[in-house]
Amino acid sequence: MIPTAPSKTTGVVFDVQHYAVHDGPGIRTLVFLKGCPLRCAWCCNPESQGAGPELRHARVRCRGCLRCVAACPAGAVTPGQDRLPVFDRDSCVRCADRPCVEACPSDALSVCGATMTADQVVARVAKDRAFYRNSGGGVTFSGGEPLAQPDFLAACLEGCRDEGISTAVSTSGYAPSEVLLRIAPLVNLFLFDLKLADTQEHLKWTGVPNDTILANLGFVATNVPVIVRVPLVPGCTDTPANLAGLADIIASIGVSQVNVAPAHGMGISKYADLGRDVPLDVIPPTRSSLLEAVFAFRSKGLICDAF
Amino acid sequence: MTDSFAPREVHGKPSSDRVRQLKQAYLEAPLMVDIEYIRRLTESHRRTDGMEVLERRAEDHAYALEGLTPIFHPGERIAGHKTRFIRGAIPYANYAAGPFLREMRRQQQDAQQKYVDLGEGGGVQHARREAEGGDSEVFSGKFLISRDELAEFRGICEYWEDKCLMEAGDRLWKTSFPGAGFIEDGWTIGLFTAPHDPCPEGRIVLDFRAALSRGYLALIAELEQRIATFRPGGPMGPDLHFWRASLRSLRGALVLAARYAAEARRLAAAEASPIRRDELLAMADACDQVPARPPRNFREAVQSFWFTYLLGHLEGAHLGYSPGRLDQTLFPYFRDDPSATWEDAVELAEELFVKMTRIEYIASMSWQGLGHGNLYQNLILGGLNSLGEPADNLLSKAFLQAQINLQMTQPTLSIWWHPTLSDGFLRTAVECVKTGVGYPAFFNLETYVRHEAAVTGLPIEVIRENAAMGGCTEPTLEGMSYGVVQAGFVNQGKLLELAMHDGVDPVTGVRMFPPCHPTTYDDVVGSFQDKMHVAVRNWQQYWNYVMLAHRQTVPLVFCSIFVRDCLGRGRCMDDGGAVNNRTPTTLSSGLVNVANSMAAIRKVVFEDRAATFAELQSALVANFEGHEALRKRLVNAPKWGNDDETVDRVFLDLFDDYVNWAADQRNYLGEPYDPSMLAISTPVPFGKACGAFPDGRLAGQPLADGVTSPFPGTDQNGPTAVLRSSIKVDHTRIRGGLLNLKFHPTALAGESGAQNLLALIKTYFEGPSFHVQFNVVDSHMLKDAQAHPDRYRDLVVRVAGFSAYWVEMSRALQDQVIERTEHSL
Ligand code: SF4
Ligand code: SF4
Repeated sequence: MIPTAPSKTTGVVFDVQHYAVHDGPGIRTLVFLKGCPLRCAWCCNPESQGAGPELRHARVRCRGCLRCVAACPAGAVTPGQDRLPVFDRDSCVRCADRPCVEACPSDALSVCGATMTADQVVARVAKDRAFYRNSGGGVTFSGGEPLAQPDFLAACLEGCRDEGISTAVSTSGYAPSEVLLRIAPLVNLFLFDLKLADTQEHLKWTGVPNDTILANLGFVATNVPVIVRVPLVPGCTDTPANLAGLADIIASIGVSQVNVAPAHGMGISKYADLGRDVPLDVIPPTRSSLLEAVFAFRSKGLICDAF
Repeated sequence: MTDSFAPREVHGKPSSDRVRQLKQAYLEAPLMVDIEYIRRLTESHRRTDGMEVLERRAEDHAYALEGLTPIFHPGERIAGHKTRFIRGAIPYANYAAGPFLREMRRQQQDAQQKYVDLGEGGGVQHARREAEGGDSEVFSGKFLISRDELAEFRGICEYWEDKCLMEAGDRLWKTSFPGAGFIEDGWTIGLFTAPHDPCPEGRIVLDFRAALSRGYLALIAELEQRIATFRPGGPMGPDLHFWRASLRSLRGALVLAARYAAEARRLAAAEASPIRRDELLAMADACDQVPARPPRNFREAVQSFWFTYLLGHLEGAHLGYSPGRLDQTLFPYFRDDPSATWEDAVELAEELFVKMTRIEYIASMSWQGLGHGNLYQNLILGGLNSLGEPADNLLSKAFLQAQINLQMTQPTLSIWWHPTLSDGFLRTAVECVKTGVGYPAFFNLETYVRHEAAVTGLPIEVIRENAAMGGCTEPTLEGMSYGVVQAGFVNQGKLLELAMHDGVDPVTGVRMFPPCHPTTYDDVVGSFQDKMHVAVRNWQQYWNYVMLAHRQTVPLVFCSIFVRDCLGRGRCMDDGGAVNNRTPTTLSSGLVNVANSMAAIRKVVFEDRAATFAELQSALVANFEGHEALRKRLVNAPKWGNDDETVDRVFLDLFDDYVNWAADQRNYLGEPYDPSMLAISTPVPFGKACGAFPDGRLAGQPLADGVTSPFPGTDQNGPTAVLRSSIKVDHTRIRGGLLNLKFHPTALAGESGAQNLLALIKTYFEGPSFHVQFNVVDSHMLKDAQAHPDRYRDLVVRVAGFSAYWVEMSRALQDQVIERTEHSL
């Protein structure tokens, strides 16, 4: 098999955000790759989880005109009880020209995820080069799980490297170790998520155990600068035992910097938009529990902030 | 999801109880009309018939000054007020009596009034409430005037009705200008802003450095010498009348200063508190010393500046009259005063800011609406000195600190940005941005230097040393520029409509141009440009007549004394005495909507052929009702502010054409007009006057604000893409420019947030860009403020080249600020 030229490698991207300032140093561009092997109950980007492009029906914008029903050639859209359309995602044939989206007068329908070549991604990222240079910023690949599209990610990282752009990868760490072996040399900074210290708990809340993740963190941390990020989800990750356990793991691996990210419920409406049930009713942590969490890490000698 | 919102990170407090009370008194005061000045001016004018124009103007003004009541508000340490009230405005009936009379007769003031909204809350509300109770009436929408004074004022206006600038100008252009009908129709359909005879001047900074360092007595001696040795120099030589008039103005000014000194002593004698007594006596001493002689210390320097600033302000109906580079003007006195401390500097700056905010203006309702009560007194910090070294100093920082502490709407605080400015100064500037007050705005000095060098040919070091800002976003050379500029705007959006509808205004049915039937994309663009050319040419010509009438009715004599080289040349500003007479600009707004519309027409009508031109016309007339699918296609066409090559090219071509054309006509003083683009509040009334646009904008919606700000909701690639579009515009070709960015507080949080913002500014200013300003607010908070105005009495937000109290803004403008895309990640 002849490998495709790296620049022509394609992948599925669901968003690109410019002037991102919370995902690594300086002014950054965030590239969100679609598809994730985990199913964290608190995920605020459910549209990032599936691997392919997905139809989203933003119910708050829908005015029930049902033009999408008429437009669909496959009969996948039917009028529902509340006079809003219902999308049968199994019978949807994913038309290339998306007649339903075209027909919608109120921008209630959209497709999450677009196929892009690595070239296109790099060109888009490179547009902000002057901002990176003046701020010490760069690009951050996030997801979904960027490591779930290893060829595409590698091609994008190589392209950015060639342009002299500093690179970061934000990951759950859940990937075969050979993927990390291949990606790590192309990365200037890892933003590495750790959620739960106990592997059973990890399995319960995310759908996968944490042994691979911890092994990968150990490998990455010896080669590339790492910031560990801990999502603070009340009732899931915020117990003193978990925080202490995570702090011990992080300290023993030799990572010195931790960011605590308070959960917010802002993605909840998107589950319904995608025709899915809400897995967990996320309640944001209180200010005091946030401070306690930060303190739990600082007390183990780690540099820790929350945002 | 909580519905709480992210607080602004920085919240200042006045540095003393004194300032806190001054600010509080301001917030609680109603807006008042004060007729004292205009009463005295009119009294004199009745007697001076037959005098030469300049001498008469000086005599009337000086006589008025000599009768002003000296006012000291509790606690203040800088003497001098424009009116007797905490928030007062002088109704300059000598400029335009007509709008006031029509207001008294309960008539519509002008064709524009229907397009303009006034705010409702704050001081406006105080005025209305007080009027319900007593012997006062609400005047001009938001001011309070006592019944007695109103009756007297009616007589004053009747006296000026046929003598004021507006009437003299109208008589002139309506009887001699072939385009007069076009201008009047243009007002009817909202193609131009209202006649701005009520506030024709401003955008000027006097030579405060000379006023301080020389003192009025030295100037008087110089004038006496010049008059005594006068030798005629022909029609272009010195005008003896101007020198005589200047002498009279200066003497009147000194009488006013002496009255302040006497009043301070009288109050001191009656004062119980020994501390306040000493303060009053110190003020009396200062008024004895300045502005007659050079200041002996920092406090007197501030007082001296304030007198000259105030006296110039009193003379004209200014908008955009500015203090300029006050950090440079005052620094030598601060540095050389061993007793002046940082705390003094901050507190005096706070007092100055309160004093500036207290000045109100009353003009026609249309101009009140356009300016939203803001006088655009621009104080600009930093920049370079004549050697090209960074000029920021301790006072630059003190002015920023004062604004952080106080959060007043005036002065309009700005920074001349240059990469060599000190980090500490820039960091303080970002702190000020984080208060959400909308100040300072950042201006790219190098771009302006290149512009001014190209149009005036003045040496770079002269431009650097005198570069200042006159008004919201319009640069000028301080102490050496002509100040009667063209403040009116051309509505580019209305020109687009005329091009779309065969030369007829679809809203009013008025025909402005012969029929045109475009069949290609180039036809549409060409038709727009032809109409723009006619409109701009007529607008410039019309203003030239008004400038001539200005010379004959209200020439600026006192201000000319402090504009180089009027004294040396013996000619007032109106006669070309200034070194730089290239300041009159031609202004327009709304070009972003035109570019978006052209790009949409090209894509949808001429490329995709999804609709015919005629179908598009009827969809626009129907405001897209029943044409939703077409509107969706138009909305999805490329939009300015996304770094999209196709639409950006359209914008740049339209920009070039406008700039070339506007500069192709001469102003009243014989210099080419300087093309410019600003906004103030024009996007709201201009949008109100327009029907639906081919870019998908609905009828009545405001136009895109600023000059290069994207239309709300159409910038979908974040702030860097907005900047990448905007950086393509060669701002060295215009005098001005304006870009608004709105940030969520979290995007600027902490040390890294500050560094990133500075990096963003630096990157933007690496190109030929000119201006950027930031609104740091959360849209949830603004919606809350709309619902509960009482809780947000002191919320200040950036509008367009200026900041305003939220509660005093019109609902439409509030909505526009909320909609402006919030960049938060
Ligand atoms: S076309 Fe759009 S607005 Fe109409 S029912 Fe379908 S999703 Fe809702
Ligand atoms: S993509 Fe095609 S099949 Fe699927 S809902 Fe839309 S129109 Fe129907």
